Amino acid sequence: MSGVVRKTGGRRLPAASPSLVVGLVITAIFVAMALVSLVWTPYEPTALNILNKLEAPSLAHPLGTDFFGRDVLSQIMAGAQVSIVVAVVAVLVGAGIGVPLGALAAARGGLVDDVVMRSTDLAFAFPALLTAVIITALAGPGAVNAIVAIGIFNIPVFARLTRGAALGLWKRDFVLAARCAGKSDLAITIEHVLPNCTAVLVVQATIQFALAIVAEAGLSYVGLGVQPPQPSWGKMLFDAQTYIYTAPWLAIFPGLAITIAVLGLNLLGDGLRDALDPKVRRAR
Amino acid sequence: MSRLLEIENLRVEIPALTGAAPILEGVDIGLDRGEKLGIVGESGCGKSMTALAIMGLLPGAARATGAIRLDGRDLLATSEREMQGIRGRRIAMVFQEPMTALNPVKTIGAQIAESLILHLRLPKAQAAERARALLDRVGLPGPRFSLDLYPHQLSGGQRQRVVIAIALACGPDVLIADEPTTALDVTIQAQILDLLEDLVAEMGMALVLITHDLGVVEETCERMMVMYAGRVVESGRTADVFAHMAHPYTRGLFAASPRSALLTSAREPSGRKRRLAAIPGQVPDPRARPPGCAFAPRCPRAQDDCRAAPPPLAPLGAPGRADHAAACLHPHPPSGMAGDVAASAEGAR
Repeated sequence: MSGVVRKTGGRRLPAASPSLVVGLVITAIFVAMALVSLVWTPYEPTALNILNKLEAPSLAHPLGTDFFGRDVLSQIMAGAQVSIVVAVVAVLVGAGIGVPLGALAAARGGLVDDVVMRSTDLAFAFPALLTAVIITALAGPGAVNAIVAIGIFNIPVFARLTRGAALGLWKRDFVLAARCAGKSDLAITIEHVLPNCTAVLVVQATIQFALAIVAEAGLSYVGLGVQPPQPSWGKMLFDAQTYIYTAPWLAIFPGLAITIAVLGLNLLGDGLRDALDPKVRRAR
Repeated sequence: MSRLLEIENLRVEIPALTGAAPILEGVDIGLDRGEKLGIVGESGCGKSMTALAIMGLLPGAARATGAIRLDGRDLLATSEREMQGIRGRRIAMVFQEPMTALNPVKTIGAQIAESLILHLRLPKAQAAERARALLDRVGLPGPRFSLDLYPHQLSGGQRQRVVIAIALACGPDVLIADEPTTALDVTIQAQILDLLEDLVAEMGMALVLITHDLGVVEETCERMMVMYAGRVVESGRTADVFAHMAHPYTRGLFAASPRSALLTSAREPSGRKRRLAAIPGQVPDPRARPPGCAFAPRCPRAQDDCRAAPPPLAPLGAPGRADHAAACLHPHPPSGMAGDVAASAEGAR
């Protein structure tokens, strides 16, 4: 018997690239911020204090106050909650429906495949954000409808990605071997096809997560997302417009929050893509 | 008398625009427990198609007619659902490429246990125990080869042992090995073949060994079948076929293998290095096979009647070699082997 067997057993952790580390840190900070805001914020985010309105950043209010005297830092922290919850649920909805659809299309082929794929073509024909605007405009504004609207345009993304990855896997020998072992198509999909898709799906999920944050901010900006007084980054940006010359921090800080969160998630996605790429990882 | 595996007049065709293209035609196989049958032929001659037809896993558009009977039950008439209960349980398969036949994201233990859980409904702990025993049996003893290893942590030969363990998990009646050693090192090849032979003897299975290596067949199988362009061109007991290769294609295959070179001197009298005799030309496209014997265009012995109609597989009628048959109108007469092959190789050049 030849060959050296590594005793370590399980998978080794992928070597961390700079983008993975930076993305992970930024994302962790935002998640931590949202979690902390559940129990503590410097001020009550929705507390009005007209006497202190439009204050520039200071020690008392590190990021200043808005027209109603609300603390901007507290609002951004609480706004992170909304962004994260809406984005997570929207991505879960999209993946939860899109992944099974894509897997079904790849496993069955033929007419099923055509119907699923032409439906995603149809969905892609409409600009995503416009679709979300129409859905929330029809169903009424609010966090739940924003989640549904953003989730719906995530479905075709996951359906296509899963189908593409699964089609390649269905041609692999180990799937033929599984069929020779008497497994049904469903069992093969669950046991062999989907586990081999996880890497691409995780990467795509982080990217969709970033897009969902932008989409949520966009919907809130036009007044179709989270409703006041619930703080939200998009809503803060909208309110800041009026004071852009007198109190620029009102626009700068929520804008930075969105930008950095999205940047962090994209870096995380890139880092994960490199780390999970079997061609890079399987250097034996 | 019902044999374990019986294939009668199997024909597989793929519908094409220009009419159905036959991939396999008139294939007959009979196999009993403990028997080892070798199927040889070059790429594209229908060896693997025969295997897939037995498993009921022909590619989408392909249609099979004839009969494939396992213990008297016609597999071609069996529903896909019931076939799932037969695959892996009664007929198992070992693949050529051990690098890709294992799922890269699951441990080898889980992959062996899977079919035990699926077919024998074993509880997890018991399945893991059996998986351990199977790994030990195929030569991957614990604790060095833990059930928690991933395929990428094993070498090619070790992976092929895992593939064999998976195939044998449920104690199948028929094991189909499709080029099980082609992708392996020469030194590992012999070990894997020995392992397969031992296991067949031990478990009383029937083995169908598909290969393009005549040497492997000679060492392993008591009966053999040579296929060309979807038809069986010569079949019989391995010893008989090797003693008298009647079909020119069988001779061509043998002359093209390095083994034949060992039988003759490595250098010609002139001192020039002897080269292996390749068979000129290539296997005809199934959509455009010649009307007569498919081998005729490449055959040094072909005559006009060869091009008229495909010759049937007929017994050669040699005394004591009743099984030996060839599909050839002008078979080589029986004669001394080694020099004869070398001579015909010369002729083919």
